[in-house]
Amino acid sequence: MQVHRRISMKIREVADSVFHHGSQSTPSPAEMAQQTEQEKEFIAHFSDVQRPLPPGEVAQNPRNKELGKSSKGLSVRDFELVRTLGTGTFARVWLVRLASPAEEDRDKVFALKVLRKVEVIKLKQVDHVNHERSILADVAGHPFITTLITSFSDHDSLYMLLDYCPGGEVFSYLRKAKRFDENTSRFYAAEIVLILEFLHEREGVAYRDLKPENLLLDAEGHIKLVDFGFAKRLGNSERRRSFGRGFVDKKSGETYTLCGTPEYLAPEVIQSKGHTTAVDWWALGILIYEFLTGYPPFWNSNPIEIYKQIVSKPVHFPTEPAISPEAKDIIRQFCTVDRSKRLGNISGGAARVKEHPFFKGVVWEDVYYRKYRGPIIPPIRYPGDAQCFDTYPDEKVGREVYSDELKRKWEDHFKDF
Amino acid sequence: MSHSSESLDVIESLKKEILETNPTDLLQFCANYFTRLLELERSQFLSSTKSQKPNMSGSTFPGRFGTHSNPFGGDGGNISQQVASGPISKVMEEDESDTITSPTTPNFGFKAGGSTFGPPFGGDASGEGPPSSFKAADGFPSQYGMGRRTSVSAESLNPTAASNDNWSPPYHHKTGEQLERLKKSISGNFLFSHLDDEQSAQVLGALVEKAIPAKGIKVITQGDEGDYFYVVEKGSFVVYVNKSGSLQPGPGGLGDEVATIEPGGSFGELALMYNAPRAATVMSAEAGCTLWALDRITFRRILMDSTFQRRRLYESFLEEVPLLASLTKYERSKIADALETQKFPAGTTIIKEGDAGEAFFLLESGEAEAYKNGTQNPVKQYTKGDYFGELALLNDAPRAASVVSKTEVKVATLGKDGFQRLLGPVESIMRRTKYDEGVEEIDPLHKK
Repeated sequence: MQVHRRISMKIREVADSVFHHGSQSTPSPAEMAQQTEQEKEFIAHFSDVQRPLPPGEVAQNPRNKELGKSSKGLSVRDFELVRTLGTGTFARVWLVRLASPAEEDRDKVFALKVLRKVEVIKLKQVDHVNHERSILADVAGHPFITTLITSFSDHDSLYMLLDYCPGGEVFSYLRKAKRFDENTSRFYAAEIVLILEFLHEREGVAYRDLKPENLLLDAEGHIKLVDFGFAKRLGNSERRRSFGRGFVDKKSGETYTLCGTPEYLAPEVIQSKGHTTAVDWWALGILIYEFLTGYPPFWNSNPIEIYKQIVSKPVHFPTEPAISPEAKDIIRQFCTVDRSKRLGNISGGAARVKEHPFFKGVVWEDVYYRKYRGPIIPPIRYPGDAQCFDTYPDEKVGREVYSDELKRKWEDHFKDF
Repeated sequence: MSHSSESLDVIESLKKEILETNPTDLLQFCANYFTRLLELERSQFLSSTKSQKPNMSGSTFPGRFGTHSNPFGGDGGNISQQVASGPISKVMEEDESDTITSPTTPNFGFKAGGSTFGPPFGGDASGEGPPSSFKAADGFPSQYGMGRRTSVSAESLNPTAASNDNWSPPYHHKTGEQLERLKKSISGNFLFSHLDDEQSAQVLGALVEKAIPAKGIKVITQGDEGDYFYVVEKGSFVVYVNKSGSLQPGPGGLGDEVATIEPGGSFGELALMYNAPRAATVMSAEAGCTLWALDRITFRRILMDSTFQRRRLYESFLEEVPLLASLTKYERSKIADALETQKFPAGTTIIKEGDAGEAFFLLESGEAEAYKNGTQNPVKQYTKGDYFGELALLNDAPRAASVVSKTEVKVATLGKDGFQRLLGPVESIMRRTKYDEGVEEIDPLHKK
């Protein structure tokens, strides 16, 4: 306890001096260097006192508020890129460690998500990356969501420094095992229910890209939800309501941009009806189905055929493997086209989901405080071990440059990084 | 916390090993040592339990700390009992002859260095393989892609009304005959079939004519970015698919001819959802062809703007309903989401006095009147923004009056069932504010 307090005080001090530089004039190179050192100290030790706080305190906690802030002193040169952990259409995630770390920080590793400004602009994802940064900053500290430690940028890239989840993707374990049994599926589904409850009901955030590829395992085998590239704040959160009576929430409760992963898209997204947080409950139904059978319920090599099935066909269960009636029921209730009947979206929200027979006997408090042992304990040999991740080819050379013209037009959009 | 004797034992035996071996790379030696130890311990454990499957077991996946029974498998009790109780939460494994290794070996599930997964699917594939056909052998759909799936996204758009720019959908005139043909060709398409009349009219208006004067012109090229959807007005088009996924140079680069599209047919619909590479090349088969074209941004804006406006309209209507005054903005938004639009011609009895009340109505356009039995003249007039029948949400009392449309009307309606499913019993919402006085004034349908 004593140690904890000391560390957290130290972190507060560091954070204060790092982030609260207010209206000072441009710092001298020496001051900059000192600031960088302090920031490195902060990121090396943020996890020392990391423990789950009650859901209502996650966003309010002063220490968590220091997480996810934009750094002014750090640059990519402060990190040593070890290897690639994953790639997307415009991003690459690296396993990194501190360049020239203090002796005791040698084994500290992180995940650094690098987004190329040119690609972000070309793929029209500028809004999305800004949402990602700001939402991750707000939810930092939740036990089942990846922690954004800090962010920074340079001439042509944006960087998000995240905690490293050494267990790799649930996707990899699922494909290897072909399918999960109901206990394993229930364990992951339960942690996801708590994530969605928190995001939807407390933060007013729709996640919009639930799938096994975006679920990582930490060292103890618990879920960490990653990639908030499509997460969007909608106007219905507790947090916003708590601003008080006079607060008028101008955001609407629905959003319109089609995004997600074909097999996991909800019907209202496909048909552009305006969608809400209800899309995540639909996707959870698809996810549980895929856990139990090894493949999603609506599938075809032609995406158009997938979409036709999603909007018109009920979920069909195979005879093999046998799926319990409770599991079938919760999947059907999530994958209900009519949103006024979809579990999670109907009255009671997540509380109603928790009461479903599929989760019979689950002590939700214990799920949240990580008291259940993960069904898969990742085989991790040392802190920076990345054997649970697939390997990826190197980046292509000859990328498009972030020209002065692009910079003039777009640089202001990236100022939050 | 003091070290248990067990952990001291472990450290002691490590020390002994180190002294005996005197390794050059101490850390690597320790790492190897513990890996071996763990493997040994786990495999001993496996053989000691009556696990059904020899090479895979949940025994390394123990349950939880605590005293309740474990919903994730296994029985209750403390952790050591649970471990001893055998498989608790195991990862299923279908085929024992495949390459999956035991989770107890350090490389569980992963071949060192290389991806063992198939090619990623997703994107715009050519559509081979029947939908969801199941292989009898292992229960997996045939040709099911096992790779990582790529996320897709359309351009992020904000509703016109929210961004204050005056966008209105383009309009290109068409003859009545052309409109009928177009309607017919898109009516069965899942991207259009759910549109309301207004959206449908705007989409049809936005389709722009595109002349394809010569034979052999590529309208879309496999592998290129997709932006337009096309309906054939005149002439015919040939579809080619190259198995490589994109058009290749040289003869045969088009790939195989897979289909012909005649007037009334359409192609490129995926482009209306998001920008994916074209799955095929489509080329004019004769001279003098005509197409109708619609781009994604226009299509999505039409749908978004009209949905957005209707949602705001519904929400503002709902704000006016005293019975629902205590709803939060979020709850109103949920109700607005569930409202269904209905149209009635003039002279339709929308609700009938004496019937059981099951739904409430918001008048979106047109006029209606309330009548009571035995009276000649209407007891109330309704115009746009008015509502009626909301007491049906509250109780099962019969309708206290009839409401008849005076002109053609458009109403948004929600049943009691739907309301309660979304927000729970109305009574509990009512308890938030007083609503007992003045009901009679507010709604003539209310019967004391």
